Amino acid sequence: MIRYGLRRILALIPVALGVATLTFAIIHLVPGDPVTAMLGETAAPTDVVEMRRQLGLDRPLLEQYVAYLGGLAVGDLGESISYRKPVVRLIAERFPATIELAAAGMLVALLLAFPLGLIAGANPGGAGDIGAMGFAIVGISVPHIYLGPLLMILFSLDLRWLPLTGRGGIAHLVLPSVTLGTALAAILARMLRQSLIRVRESDYMRTALSKGLSPRSALFRHGLKNALTSVVTIIGLQMGALLSGTLIIEMIFSWPGIGRLLITAIGARDYPVVEGCVLTFAMTYVVVNLATDLVYAMIDPRVRIS
Amino acid sequence: MRTRKTTAWLRLVQVAAALVALTGCGHNRVESSPGTIQVDIETSPTSTDPRFGTDAMSSRINELIFDSLVKPDRNGQFVERLAQSIEHPSPTRAVYHLNHGVRFSDGRELTARDVLFTYNSIRAPESMSPKRASLEELKSIEAPDDYTVVITVAHPYAPAVEIATEGIVPVGTPLPAGGSGAAPVGSGPFKMVTYSRDEFLRLERNPYYPHPPGAAQSILFKIVPDPTVRALELAEGVCDLSPNNIQFDVLPWLSADQSLEISSTPGSTYRYLSFNFRNPQLRDIRVRRAIAYAIDRNTIVSSVLRGTGRIATGMLAPESWAYDGNVTTYSYDPEKARQLLDQAGYPAGKDGMRRLRFEFKTTPEGARDGEIFQAMLQRVGIELTIRKLEFATYYADIQAGNFDLTSLQWVGITDPNQYFRIFDSNKTPPHGENRGYYSNPEMDRLVEAGKTTVDTEARKKIYAEVQRLAADDLPYVSLWWVDNVAVMNRRLVGFEAYPNGSLRSLATLTLIGPDGGEPSQ
Repeated sequence: MIRYGLRRILALIPVALGVATLTFAIIHLVPGDPVTAMLGETAAPTDVVEMRRQLGLDRPLLEQYVAYLGGLAVGDLGESISYRKPVVRLIAERFPATIELAAAGMLVALLLAFPLGLIAGANPGGAGDIGAMGFAIVGISVPHIYLGPLLMILFSLDLRWLPLTGRGGIAHLVLPSVTLGTALAAILARMLRQSLIRVRESDYMRTALSKGLSPRSALFRHGLKNALTSVVTIIGLQMGALLSGTLIIEMIFSWPGIGRLLITAIGARDYPVVEGCVLTFAMTYVVVNLATDLVYAMIDPRVRIS
Repeated sequence: MRTRKTTAWLRLVQVAAALVALTGCGHNRVESSPGTIQVDIETSPTSTDPRFGTDAMSSRINELIFDSLVKPDRNGQFVERLAQSIEHPSPTRAVYHLNHGVRFSDGRELTARDVLFTYNSIRAPESMSPKRASLEELKSIEAPDDYTVVITVAHPYAPAVEIATEGIVPVGTPLPAGGSGAAPVGSGPFKMVTYSRDEFLRLERNPYYPHPPGAAQSILFKIVPDPTVRALELAEGVCDLSPNNIQFDVLPWLSADQSLEISSTPGSTYRYLSFNFRNPQLRDIRVRRAIAYAIDRNTIVSSVLRGTGRIATGMLAPESWAYDGNVTTYSYDPEKARQLLDQAGYPAGKDGMRRLRFEFKTTPEGARDGEIFQAMLQRVGIELTIRKLEFATYYADIQAGNFDLTSLQWVGITDPNQYFRIFDSNKTPPHGENRGYYSNPEMDRLVEAGKTTVDTEARKKIYAEVQRLAADDLPYVSLWWVDNVAVMNRRLVGFEAYPNGSLRSLATLTLIGPDGGEPSQ
């Protein structure tokens, strides 16, 4: 298990390298220039040249790339062009906010998906199933950009229960996390339902029923555990959607995370910040998937890690 | 068995909950307090140091914290601020006599040494300030005594007074180490106490600045990027003022709210359609005029803008001292447009279309305008393809002159010398903002004369000619002047809109109701 974990961690290096290279290439290839973004069109040409030199943007791209990788190897993501602060510090300041939002979104998704999936899977075709899956379809179909303001109107404006925007206590977290988690909840609930329906037809379920267990306890004792494995895999894979969802949610709810940092940095062509944020998102995704694989092995004895 | 099967799910829930709890600790909250006005803005200022911030948001906030020698008034005329009086011993020299007893928010007295320091720190090559270029006409600045500043320019330069609009910082203020630090001290009505970039910034009264009784204690600028959310914050009463950043579509909804007031006042922001003269078809004046006649600006202003604009005759709005509206205008006339295109040698085909196809570059936000122009031009047989680009890419293309047609706006124009920057044939990319490569020797002569003539009446005549020529020659199609639309809570009293969008009246606003301001100091 430990060896497996170490091997998987080592495998993160080529992934990081790939992400870093791709991000570097894309952001440098698109038109736009951080110096013009900062100094404006009317800047004196000598100032533009001098600033490009100071920022190292006058060096050949390959040289910049090698320097970037060199910094990366020692955990230095460079200095932000517009904030004039180390990128690592900028990300460290904002990453907790994004993780808080993503984790809360996940929590909402799990808390919604579990009962809904169970209700739907326990009695397919029944009223509970139709209701739960109706919710799931709505949940998947409504985009964040629409759901967010809708929840704000209802819970902040009309009912006055929750604050509209910003980061603060738990109350501030409710609306953004519900907006973020609803689509994932819908996907997970459908997945759990499907899995439950699938396991109901298995031999061991038939055995359980024939030895006298009630359908409900057969489902809870034997079915649910087996159904969970595929859901856990989906959770890992959906982490990407959840993280990219934070980009929009952070803009809507004025949430000070790295999603907003990234969007602002793209506008300013702040290369080091864009590269650092994308790398952080990608690495979070990969690490969550690794964690999912380990959890998967724990709950499914058929999977042997070696 | 039962314990184990639910463990995985529970564990996931626990992990997620623990992460939420862990990351939620120790975070600064944005909180409003009594006597505070909350203003929602769409982006962070790029710099809180007046020597660096050039974007509109930085200028709006910095002018509340820093004072300059002179300031433009509502009509774009420069009036004394820190200066008590101005003398002009020669066309290239201006002597500013400073007021005595002006203090920075830390109690220090503002003297000519601070003024000198501010200008020198911008001009120093190592400053890398984007404002360096705007001071290139400045030959020297001297402080013969603590209350006198002498500004000398190299040549007679009409807009020289613009040089005197830089916000003053105290001697020794270091160059900004980071774009996210709180502002240095200034002598304006407010001081900055907290700045959390991309979240909020808080200003409090400068205790040394004379405030009217009942003026607000502090201002909380909250950065809310989403326009719908800004509207919701107004409706909820969290936000007191949203200046020029509410979508027109939601104005009717907000106007139904009893607690809100919508102030719509004439603005000087100029929206235009720009042609690229490197495209040979657009170099034909008949094609440009046809396009001008084909655009139904009245309909756009009344429907899309919901009436919050005025049809423009040129770059300068009627409030400007140099405005002259006696120019050629192009009211909607598709028939005339078709005739002009026929004369230009582009007959309509069977489907009504002509051999005229242009690319309109825009941003996702500008796409709707693009579609409207596309439909209107199609009626006269011109095909417009819309190229939607993310803002930085779009702007890089426009600055490099890579477009056929585009629509942009000029914000905060005070001096007509802007015509020199945008229409002089030497100011094409990368040397200036003549992005459409417009070139007309007559225009060159006029804008040069306007720049070097110091006498105001003579300048006024020159710019009247410039405005006539621009309307005849059509380097731009003038679209509209954008109104300043501020939505505010009725508890704010005394908000005064400025045509250039300045928020200066925040210094004198009072609050009524339970949260009202405390007596001034």
